[in-house]
Amino acid sequence: MTKPVRVVHYLNQFFAGIGGEERADAGVSMRPEPVGPGRALQAALGDGGGIVGTVICGDNHIAEREREAVAAIRAELESLRPDVMVAGPAFGSGRYGLACAAACRAASALGIPALTGMHPDNPAVEADRQRVVIVPTAESATGMQPALVSLARFALRLGRGETLGPAEVEGYIGQGKRRVWDRGRPGYQRALDMLLDKLHGRPFTSEVPFRAPDRVTPATPVADLSRAAIAMVTTGGLVRKGNPDRQVAANATRYHRHSIKELEALTPEGWEAYHAGYFNHLVNKNPNYILPLSFLRDLEGKGQIGRVHEWMYALPGVSTPVAMARQLGRSIAEDLREARVDGVLLVAT
Amino acid sequence: MISAIYSFAMTTGANRVVRGARIEHVCGDPGLGPEKDYAYGMRIVKKALEAITVPVSGPTLFDPHEGEAVHAS
Repeated sequence: MTKPVRVVHYLNQFFAGIGGEERADAGVSMRPEPVGPGRALQAALGDGGGIVGTVICGDNHIAEREREAVAAIRAELESLRPDVMVAGPAFGSGRYGLACAAACRAASALGIPALTGMHPDNPAVEADRQRVVIVPTAESATGMQPALVSLARFALRLGRGETLGPAEVEGYIGQGKRRVWDRGRPGYQRALDMLLDKLHGRPFTSEVPFRAPDRVTPATPVADLSRAAIAMVTTGGLVRKGNPDRQVAANATRYHRHSIKELEALTPEGWEAYHAGYFNHLVNKNPNYILPLSFLRDLEGKGQIGRVHEWMYALPGVSTPVAMARQLGRSIAEDLREARVDGVLLVAT
Repeated sequence: MISAIYSFAMTTGANRVVRGARIEHVCGDPGLGPEKDYAYGMRIVKKALEAITVPVSGPTLFDPHEGEAVHAS
């Protein structure tokens, strides 16, 4: 018979029974036995695994002094030498979720597989799902029992050194990783089956999950255009003539910032488009189609807008994964906010 | 956001969407000849500037061809 998997369980002060908010600043401690929900976790592990220690830390302590707390967790893990670590589950609690994810990362850094459980809407899922194995749970601790059964099942497999299959098959939260995997039947057959299911009103599961777009809070309106600083951004792939900055034509991982301080309009001698998603020839004759500098200078001269911001931002908005687009957009927005720009015109091709 | 594929801009969460001309020439139309091309581009840009002065509660289309806002929902 195989040796039982050595499991370390991570809990916050509340689930460990130390106290509530008033003890959320409790530092890292360890108890050499199952604690609180750890007892039910031990039952779910059965003979396959044993909890060799429970590491406990207050949620505020790890949130506010993460480096110190993570170092202490590492020290406990180094002396306990588990095969796997289970954190939480944290359910819908954002702060506990982030703490569990941090504990898991600490274990992973030591080569110890780790997993946690939380509700898919927990903010820690968005923050850490790419780095941490997260099992979906209910929103509150009323879902403790099924969550522990599911965590135990994954913990035993990870503790024995097994590699998990795809998230949609295994049931953990997708990490956004792509691996080559044989679905057994070619794509055209699967697509036709899905189409038939759809036409007959039968349930089917898409292989390309739909992610609803973010709801973005609309920006406050500009009160007075005649005093406003207006910036321009384009996803039309505008580059300086000859592309000396070596912008890519698609799948951008960075954007380019150019000064337009001295320019009255964009000329075809100075600028062109480098973008794999549309025919660039018209923009190459008049780059103002994708970055309306000529128009804004006109309005600036007439006093209808305050001023044109001296920097413009450009990238080719084609084949860019949403996560990358979000990151680039956020960075541009931060830059513009810091420059105290009042309004932005974004031209998308 | 000024975009020729304005419906896509709205469904992906942009709040102030201005209908541009075409993908290859978002702010203007070279087929109109230089003067009308510029006037058309200016109408689009002015509509965009107007859009950022108007409060919106969610994705809203500003159409320079009609001169009024059309709500997404």
